[in-house]
Amino acid sequence: MSNHQILNPADHGELRIRTEAGMELGDGVMACLTIPGEFRQLQGEFPIVFRRDIESGSFSAMALFGFENGENLFLEGNRWTARYRPLALAIQPFLVGRPASEGGDAQVHIDMDHPRISSNGEGTRVFDGEGKPTPFLEDIADRLGALHEGHQESIAFFKALARHELLEPFTLDVPLRNGARHSLVGFHIINEEKLLSLSADGLADLQGEGHLLPIYMSLASISQFAELVARKNERVADG
Amino acid sequence: MAVRLSSLLQGAIVHYGSQVMANSIQSVVIVGGGTAGWLSACLLAAKRPELSITLVEAPDIPTIGVGEGTWPTMRDTLATIGIPEAEFLQKCDASFKQGSRFDGWVSGADDDSYLHPFTPPPPADMRALLAAWQAGAAETSFAAMMAPQSAVCANDLAPRQRAMPDYAGALNYGYHLDAGKFAALLAHHGINKLGVKWYSDHVTGVIEDGEGGISALHLRGSPPLEGDLFLDCSGHAALLIGRHFEVDWIDRSDISFNDRALAVQVPCQADSAVASQTVGTAHEAGWLWDIALPTRRGIGCVYSSSFLSDDGAERVLSDYLRKHAPGADLANLSPRKLAFATGHRRTFWHRNCLAIGLSAGFIEPLEASAIVMIELSIKALAENFPADTPAMEVSAVRFNDLFRYRWDRIVEFLKLHYVLSRRSEPYWLAQRAETSIPARLAEQLVLWRSQPPSTWDFPQIDEIFSAASQQYVLYGMGFPVPPVRETEASIVTAAARLAEVRERTRALTAALPSNRTYLAALAAQAA
Repeated sequence: MSNHQILNPADHGELRIRTEAGMELGDGVMACLTIPGEFRQLQGEFPIVFRRDIESGSFSAMALFGFENGENLFLEGNRWTARYRPLALAIQPFLVGRPASEGGDAQVHIDMDHPRISSNGEGTRVFDGEGKPTPFLEDIADRLGALHEGHQESIAFFKALARHELLEPFTLDVPLRNGARHSLVGFHIINEEKLLSLSADGLADLQGEGHLLPIYMSLASISQFAELVARKNERVADG
Repeated sequence: MAVRLSSLLQGAIVHYGSQVMANSIQSVVIVGGGTAGWLSACLLAAKRPELSITLVEAPDIPTIGVGEGTWPTMRDTLATIGIPEAEFLQKCDASFKQGSRFDGWVSGADDDSYLHPFTPPPPADMRALLAAWQAGAAETSFAAMMAPQSAVCANDLAPRQRAMPDYAGALNYGYHLDAGKFAALLAHHGINKLGVKWYSDHVTGVIEDGEGGISALHLRGSPPLEGDLFLDCSGHAALLIGRHFEVDWIDRSDISFNDRALAVQVPCQADSAVASQTVGTAHEAGWLWDIALPTRRGIGCVYSSSFLSDDGAERVLSDYLRKHAPGADLANLSPRKLAFATGHRRTFWHRNCLAIGLSAGFIEPLEASAIVMIELSIKALAENFPADTPAMEVSAVRFNDLFRYRWDRIVEFLKLHYVLSRRSEPYWLAQRAETSIPARLAEQLVLWRSQPPSTWDFPQIDEIFSAASQQYVLYGMGFPVPPVRETEASIVTAAARLAEVRERTRALTAALPSNRTYLAALAAQAA
């Protein structure tokens, strides 16, 4: 269910957005989409993995927050417990809209059925009393821009990974302290051996297009699985 | 010589040691159960849990309900006492107070208004800030230039979001509250959580200890109540400091003229805006207060009986109500008449009796100084609590010096609001007569022509009115800024600080809820 509108001061002059974290606000997700430009900020907090869309066959990057649908181990009540909040969560309930006419500028759209739309007068305004964007909206617009640009760049990134056959399927079996097991299947990660055996030309190709940095950042992020498992064990112990 | 000295000292220590055993101060008796009594009981019990604290309050004496505005200090006080902020707001019908707005004090014209917000100007040299203000946007008010609070107050916004931790704010704030409900909340908390013992009884007499102090109080319905230290929170009655000890009253009405008030309470609509600040509106012979709570507005006319008759004051009050509270049912509002003397005791701590609240002194509530003086008194007492009688003598001398200093500063700061006026009614001309202006204030005004108020003028740690407060009144009322002698570089730096204030203003006015929204959401959460 969604109700997308083009954001504008006439319709949304009084609109307020709930900016705190929360399960009921749409943060109860095990993963979110991300872009190579964000890997550096993510890798110190979350594992970054890749998923192939069954229908289109194309890949996208995901930051992982949990092991099962709806589980976000970085959410404690209304507190986001990581230092960084991924762009795809931070921009909600906004999205980049395609203009009706070909070649027009991307627009800021908003999902008016999103739980972050405030109905009680609390939350942060999008437009000020004069209909000008607030600093909050300016910040959202910057993030939307980065995300939009990042999605364009992702296409080249995954083409390069495919060209060098750097992706491999990945399965993680997670034994928990209470004896239960979780397994993560259906994701891909960077094949480290292949990366290490790349020729100088291959490396130069990746480096030339700026892909080498995000590749290494995503590799580094795999060590965050230890953090994810630790958080899961804590939840299991508390529960 | 050295030998003699050390043996002398030894003798003194032994002597002192025996005194400590005999006269240690452990039990505190508080007389009076209004805001002063219960706030003192709770704060002292929270800060000094080892003391035995007993409060005796007469069962049938109505509390005056001094000042319904607090200072930001109240947040720390309530956190120390251990009452959650949401509970306090709901049980005391409280709202947020972010400062005071003064309407009509300079010229009386319709657009004559300035704000004294609780958030200070940005941390930069005030001379440079003033120069940057004058160079950049002289038409913007001083308060709007120096703090985001001005815009926040203008839009009736709260100083915090509900998700923030208790007593934390995006801006500095205190409260407007129902003083009767506040005393009841404190009484309940003090008795049930902090171990304050409570007698509902009349104090009928004092039993002296033979050395000029008090050893116990006669009660009408119980055996005498013994104590080591007695707090006189009995209000205007001043049972101990006044009636028993007859400590002198220093009259300050030669400086502060107002001696009457007419007070009403006007119910308000459930969805009406709740103002973020106390509004003080000047009239021909005094001023009117307007304090917004979630369910009502407290409005009162303060005046000088030498310049305005009671009938005249009623006319001023009803004119104000017609203009500013159009829904009010004037016929059914019967204003409460209050007469008050302005002044304070010569000493507040006499022997083993300390006066706190109205028994210590009173001045018109122009800057809501009543409740904060209670908090400051208990802070000074608790943090220097005398272990024994000799220490108490020292504590008393220091306390009296400190609070005399504070009363003098309050009297001067309130007077500042009048001497900068240009109003021409006889009352206002008299307020500016040289003979009524304290010497120290007159000296300050000479200095402030060439330099802004600074910590050089107000050097104490817990200064009652900071240099920032003086600046807000001074430049809010159009006092000329000192001549520029700053370097270009320091003005550029100051201008950058002011640009940060503007950015913060934009961010805060977008992110803060209205007072009404906040309080309604709080009520919905509790329901």
